This record gives sequence, C-alpha cells and structure tokens, in this order.
Amino acid sequence: MRIYEDLRVLQRRLMVVQTLLAVAMVLLAGYFWHLQVLRGRFYRELAESNRLRTVPIPAPRGPLFDRAGRILAENRSSFNVVVTSENREDLYQALEKLSDLMDFDPAQVQERLAEKGPRFRSLVVKADASEEDVAKVEARRWEHSETTVDVVPLRSYPLAGAGAHSLGHVGEVTDKQLESEAFAGVEPGSMVGQSGIELEYNKELMGKDGLRRIVVNSRGVEVAEAEREPPIDGPPAVVTLDMELQRAFEEAMGTEAGSVVVLGAETGEVMSYLSLPAYDPNAFSLGIKPALWNGLTRDPQKPLINRPIQGMYPPGSTFKVVNALAALQEGVITPGTRFHCPGYLAVYNTIFRCHKPEGHGTVDLKQAIALSCNVYFYNVGIRLEIERLSRYAHLLGLAAPTGIDLPHESSGIFQDPEWKLRVLKARWFPAETVSVSIGQAMAVTPVQLARVAAVVANGGKLVTPHFMRSIDGKPRPYPPPKPLGLRPDVIQVLREAMAAVVQEGTGQRAKLEGITVSGKTGSAQVVTHARLERDKNLRAYQPHGWFMFFVPAVGDKPALAGAVLVEHGVQGGQSAAPVVGRALARYYGVRTIGPGMAIPEQPVPDPSPAALRAAQ
Amino acid sequence: MAIDRRLVHNIEWGLLMACLLVAGIGVATIVSATFSTRLAGIYVKQLWGLGLGLLGLLVVAGIDYRRLVDRAHLLYVPTVCVLGSVLAFAPRIAGTKRWFLIGGMQVQPSEFAKLVAALFLAKFFADSKKDSLGLTDLLVPGAAIGLMAALIAAEPDLGTAFTLVPMFLVVAFLAGLRMKALFGLLLAGVLVGSLAWVFALKDYQKARIYSFLDPTLDPKGKGYQKIQSEIAVGSGGLMGKGYKHGTQAQLGYLPARHTDFVFSVLAEENGFLGVVLVLGLYLFILWRCFETAQLARDRVGVFLAAAVAAGLSFQVVYNVAMVAGLVPVKGLPLPLMSYGGSSVLSSLLALGLIFNVRMRRFAN
Repeated sequence: MRIYEDLRVLQRRLMVVQTLLAVAMVLLAGYFWHLQVLRGRFYRELAESNRLRTVPIPAPRGPLFDRAGRILAENRSSFNVVVTSENREDLYQALEKLSDLMDFDPAQVQERLAEKGPRFRSLVVKADASEEDVAKVEARRWEHSETTVDVVPLRSYPLAGAGAHSLGHVGEVTDKQLESEAFAGVEPGSMVGQSGIELEYNKELMGKDGLRRIVVNSRGVEVAEAEREPPIDGPPAVVTLDMELQRAFEEAMGTEAGSVVVLGAETGEVMSYLSLPAYDPNAFSLGIKPALWNGLTRDPQKPLINRPIQGMYPPGSTFKVVNALAALQEGVITPGTRFHCPGYLAVYNTIFRCHKPEGHGTVDLKQAIALSCNVYFYNVGIRLEIERLSRYAHLLGLAAPTGIDLPHESSGIFQDPEWKLRVLKARWFPAETVSVSIGQAMAVTPVQLARVAAVVANGGKLVTPHFMRSIDGKPRPYPPPKPLGLRPDVIQVLREAMAAVVQEGTGQRAKLEGITVSGKTGSAQVVTHARLERDKNLRAYQPHGWFMFFVPAVGDKPALAGAVLVEHGVQGGQSAAPVVGRALARYYGVRTIGPGMAIPEQPVPDPSPAALRAAQ
Repeated sequence: MAIDRRLVHNIEWGLLMACLLVAGIGVATIVSATFSTRLAGIYVKQLWGLGLGLLGLLVVAGIDYRRLVDRAHLLYVPTVCVLGSVLAFAPRIAGTKRWFLIGGMQVQPSEFAKLVAALFLAKFFADSKKDSLGLTDLLVPGAAIGLMAALIAAEPDLGTAFTLVPMFLVVAFLAGLRMKALFGLLLAGVLVGSLAWVFALKDYQKARIYSFLDPTLDPKGKGYQKIQSEIAVGSGGLMGKGYKHGTQAQLGYLPARHTDFVFSVLAEENGFLGVVLVLGLYLFILWRCFETAQLARDRVGVFLAAAVAAGLSFQVVYNVAMVAGLVPVKGLPLPLMSYGGSSVLSSLLALGLIFNVRMRRFAN
C-alpha cells in the first residue's frame, strides 16, 4: 500500500497553465482568421504582385516606303541577350557565368547597370547578338535560367546616311521627352523617333506595345507566362522621297559637304533630300555607343546638323531671280531693259564691283541672269528699293520657315530697314540695298531656295515642302500650293532667262541631252571679301556654291525644282551645277552635255557695313 | 526489458494517432514545399526520422520515468559537456555552430538537451519537499538550466535556448513558487532582456528584432522572411490555394519553407480551414500532455509531463505566431511538422516521456 502524494495544489496550478495554452491557441486561430479571411484579399494581391510581372512586348514601328513602294525603313528581328535578376549578387554571378559563353563589353554592362539604379529587373547584356550566341544561350537554358534571349524589332534603314536627315533615327525615349506632351502615353524604355520624319510622325508610326504578364520566382526569373496581349504594329507610311533620285544625288555629291533639296515643282513633295556629311541612323537603333556619339557631336563638319532646313547661307546670285521677279512684276523693268556694265557701279560714294572686272558691256535681263551680271541687278535693286525687295523676298517664302514636316526648321534672316532697326537698332543706308540686290545681307536655307525655284517652275505658286504622303493608306493632307498673283509673262521671262543660264550662261554644266534644265548659280560668301583676300587658299574661307534649278515633267516623272549647295564649292557653276547635271542624267537615263570648261564667277565685293556684320 | 502488458493497455491511442496525423500532414507539406526543387525527396529522410522517433518513443515510454528521473543528474553533466563541445568543435554552418556531423547526418544536441532539462527539472523540484518556494529556492535549478540555456544561446540558437525558460517557469510554478516571486522573476527577465539587448545580442539578432518591428524598412533583408510569410498566410484565404499550388511557396518567396516556416506553406495551400485543423490537433495533443500531468500519480510525474508539455507548447505557439508575423523570426522548428531529424526525434522522445507518465498513472 502506497501513500499517494497530495497533488491537488499542483493540479490547480496546472489548470492555470493549461488554460493559458488554450487561450493562446484560440487567440492564434483568431489572428489567422484576421489574416486569412478578413484581410485575405489584401494579401492575395500582394502575393500576385509578388509573382506577376508585366513586361512590354515592343510593337514594331510602321515601315516607311518611298513614293514607288521601295522600303526606306523597316524592322528586322534582333536578339538581345538579357539577364534578369532582382538580386545584385545573383546578377554578378550570372554575368560571370555568361562571360565564359560569349564576348560582351563588361564596361558597357556596368554602365547600363549604373543607369538602372537599385530597383532593376533585367539588363541587356548583349544587344543584337549573333545567332551563334543565341544558340549557346538556348542550349544552356537550364544552367543559365537568369539568361534569356529577347526578340526585339530593330529599326533598319537601307539608305543609311542618305536617309539620315529626312527619315531620321530612333532611340530610347529620354526622361525629358517623357515629360512632354508629344510623348504622352509613351512608356519609359520605349524606342521613339528622335529626329526627322521618325520624330515628326512618331505618334502615328508607333504601334501599340503588347503586354506579357509573366510568373516569376523569388529571383525574378520567369517561370511561366500567365497572359499575353499581342502588340499592334505601327501602320505603314509612304513618303514622297524617290529612292532613285536620292541615290543619284548621293552619288553625284560624292564626298562633298552640302545640301540637296528637290521638290515636286507642282506639289512641294520632297523627292530628294540630303544633308552631307551624313551619319548612319542604323547605329542609333541599338542605342548609340558613347564613342560614336561623341565623334558625331565633335566632328567639325557637324554631321548632325540638318543642313537643308537648318543651314543658313546668303543666297548670293540666286537671289537675282527674286530681284528680277519683283522688278518685272512691279513694272520697274521690262525684259528689254538694258544697263551698261563696265565691271563696277559707283554709287553712294562706293564702288560696287561685278565679278567680271572688264564688265559685261550692255546687257538685257536675260543676258544679265544668264551671265549673272552684278551691275545690272545693282541698278534694278536701287530702282526697286529695299521695301519692295523685302516684300517679294518674303512673298517667295525666304527668311521664314517653309512649314516642312521636319522638326527644328530654321527661319533665316532677311535684313531690311525694319529688321535693322529692331535687331541692330540702326538706320538703313541706301548702299545696303545694293548688297541686298545680289543676295547679300540675308541668310536662307536650301529648302527655301528650292521653293523659289518651284515658284518659277509651276507658274507662280508657293508650295509647302512635305514628306508624308499617306499613313496606313490614308492620304495626309498638306497645305495646297498658294498662288502668289504673279503675272504669267513675268514667269515666262524668268523661265527663259533661267533656261539661258544652263544653255549658255554660268550653269552650263547642268545641261542634259534632250531635257531642258533651267537654273541659277550663286555663291554664298563665308567670310568678308577682305578676309578671303588674305587667306586665298584656306578652304574654310571659300564661298559655298549654289545651284537652284527646275526641270519639266518627263514621262511619268513630275516636274522638279530644287536647290543644291556645295560647301566651299566656290562657284555654283563649277560645283553645284555639275552635281545637278550628273544626278539628273542618271535619274533620267540621259547624257550630260555641259562643257567641262570653267565659267568665271567671282564672289561679289561687299562693302556694306551691315552685311559685313552679318557675315561675321 | 520486459514491458508490463497493463502498460500497453494504458497507451493513449488517441494521442498517438493525433501525433501521427500531424506528422503525416507535416510530411505532405514538406513534399509540397520541396518537390520542384533540389530538395525533392528529403521527405524520405523525414519519414526515416519519424520511424526512428517512434521507436525511440517506445523505448523511452518503456523505461519507468522514475528510474529516468533518478538518474537525471547523470545525464545532465554529459549533456552540458556535449553542448560545450558543440561550441568548441562543431563546424560553422550558415554562421552558427549548432550541429555535429555524425555519419553524414547533422545532429543538433540542443534538441536533446531539452529532454535532459525536463528530467532534471522533475528531479530537482520533486526532491524539494517544500510547499511554497521563494526566489532563493530557484537559485540552484535556475543556474543549472541557465548554464544549458547560455551554452545553447551561444551557438547561437536563441529559439531553443528560450524554450528552456517556460519549461523552468512552469515547473517552478507548479512546485509552489509564490506569485510574488513569479512576478519578480518575470520582471527580472525583462531587465535581463534589455541588458542582453545592449551587451550580448549579436548584430544579426538585433537586426531581426528591428526588422520585426518594421519589416518594410528592408523588404529583401531581414524583414523579408516575416513579410513573405505573412503574405503566404494571408493570401491562403479561407480555403487555401490548393496543395502544391501556393505561389509564395512554389516560386521560392518563402524562406525555410520546409523547416521553420512549414506552417506558412500549410496556411497558404490549405487556408484557414487547414490552419484550424492543425491548430486543433496541436491543442488536442498539448492538452493531453497537460492532462497527463494532471493524471500523474506523483510529483515527479507531474513535473516531468508538465515540463515536456510546456516546452512543446512554447515551441508550437511561438512558431505559429512567428509564421503569422506576430513575433520576431527565430530558428525554432514546429514540433512534429518541421523538417529536421533532430527536431522530429526530440519531439517524439518528449512525447515518449508523456506516454511514460500516462501509462503508469495507475501502476501500483
């Protein structure tokens, strides 16, 4: 018989402990009710955002075609090797493993990594990877689960440099652009137009990016696709360029720097457009490399400048067409009006020289234009006076934006009394009018001059240069040519005179067999005459050569009007006219028959103080 | 060793079944948590652990607990030596020295030290015949258990070290600790805790506590586990996402999802219903453990069963609260469910002690 211990106190206290346990468990269950049932939806959303990532599928931009349906810009599939990780250590490891597999530039990867900041998800290690690299990655998917190959549309331009300034290029949207109205709705990281038509029509050409909702694991690596919304391609667009004409001018310009603008004379459609030297827009599609970019921005030839709309040059003797047009229309002269050219004009206590020291003798309007006689137009300008010269220059669209559908067009400068008072706060000297008469004291863009040529070619209508013909099959409206109210006989006289320039005058090297080319040469002074005299052989001081021209419709090819500027080409007749001759000969499939001999044309002495300042 | 037939007759089958059910749910959850990873197949090791544990349970249940408790001091000294040698010789794994490698298996001596602590507590307080205990009466057992806790805490393994505290307190309370002394002790605990915060806690331990207080400060850092576990539990909802379909578990967001956070996987995939079922089973098991203490025929039995029950209860409550994001993350496995041979074995041996006391409640 054993004596049982009295355990009642213990058992009472035990009950307290037991009760505590039961209460704790019930409270825990209650908390799980709170977490799982009451706040379940909240946590479910957290779990979803944990596991689901939205990845855009870039939509290919609309392709660009020339007027004949030839491809100017398309999208080729390119492969990016991408490493995805939400943890920096994992990323470095993955990069190290990858470096055994393929070559890539670690410095560039580091740079991109630095740009991304701390909350990155995926990093392009190698853009536009070769098929060999892609095969390597795909073959080792299991070991390199962080490494994937993305197929991205890459903008590609068959014309390369010849299309750079008209078509433009694309690049990743910048932070500044993201804040602007024009890029509303664009997602960061998207490729957008950065210049030219690509920028001007960016919204229309961009498609709608698709979406992929992917399931990722805790390292951010994709494990499955939950949802896919396919991208909508950008619509195709037809531009007015003629690839053949573009190629012909590119070849004719050779290594020269300068501008080419050729318009449909009746419509203002831009059929050829060159700014040289150019750059390769394809290099931007991948994200331009800093070295290449620095090279472009520091190049003294400034390849990034869009010369036809941003280059501002005095029109020189090409302005004589404007002068003549104004004088004829105003009745200041008739086609038969003659002036004597002894090689200079002494007026307002100044000697104004002609480029031919011994003089042209007594010439009428047609001869004066054909031979580009300065003295004749000094006299005309003095009779017209500056107000009317200014009015007609503006009427013909000089020194004002043309409204071309390219971004960042410059307007130019036309010096008249009003301008001089406003900008220089100075009074106008009559002697300055003499300089204006032959195209000094002003700065115009090549596209403005091409428009003047079109006015003569189409019988007196001011066209709006434009590139876009149709987007997605829908024609793009453009401002119709604006009749200027010029008398037909005035146009007729100018046409005859400009034909004479090529037939027997300063522009003979543009002469073609069987096709009448009309034009006007000019040279745009770079520095003052005195400065040029000091450094006669310095190329940078040599004037630019101008040639504005038009040709009638030939077969199914429309009438063309254009302007060519060859930088430091000295005389338009020697530099720019041969370019037009060679290019058009190739375009029409005819022979050039211009003489190889030199036609003298000198830059004009220019004593006007205002023009001196403008030139500096 | 002959086992009395009457003892077998007295086995509490309901308790055993509940334990096996919880262990089975644990294995299934481990399978779900690991089947798509490199660890697929470790559930087999868990099954071996459970088998070995059941065998150990029978052995422990078979030896009269009074004989075990009588020799508790003989077990205490070698246990302290082993804990000391863990600190001295164990390889550093994941920054801690908790495991010995024996025959390719990681053995965690601190898990077994808890059992020795239970035996020691039962012996000491049963030997003291006082009805009412003051703080001075706790000095000797407090120092003995404190030494063990300190050695374990130094590994560092704060979770296991902390488990010894409620065991000690519960047994002391039952043994007649005066309420004033108990509150004094709790107050001292708070004081020591704050001193430890300043002087003894390692940076990672502090970081864990900081991150517990505001896990969003560093979601990929120390607070990551708490946040991800909370998301897993909460997103499970009422019904759960389905077995093997927990996104948090399957996509690797949950850390330690087959060990300390196995309950989180269960909560995500089986929802509130699964949680209530398993919590109910645990409450049943632990209640039966305390009931065993109620039914024990002598003070030794009461203290032993209560010490074991207190240790297991603390682990269950703390682990589940940790999974729910209520308390700081500590390396504390969920008894019977978490993957880990030492943990499973230790839990089943502890239950063996419970069966031991329960079977012998009527014996002579």
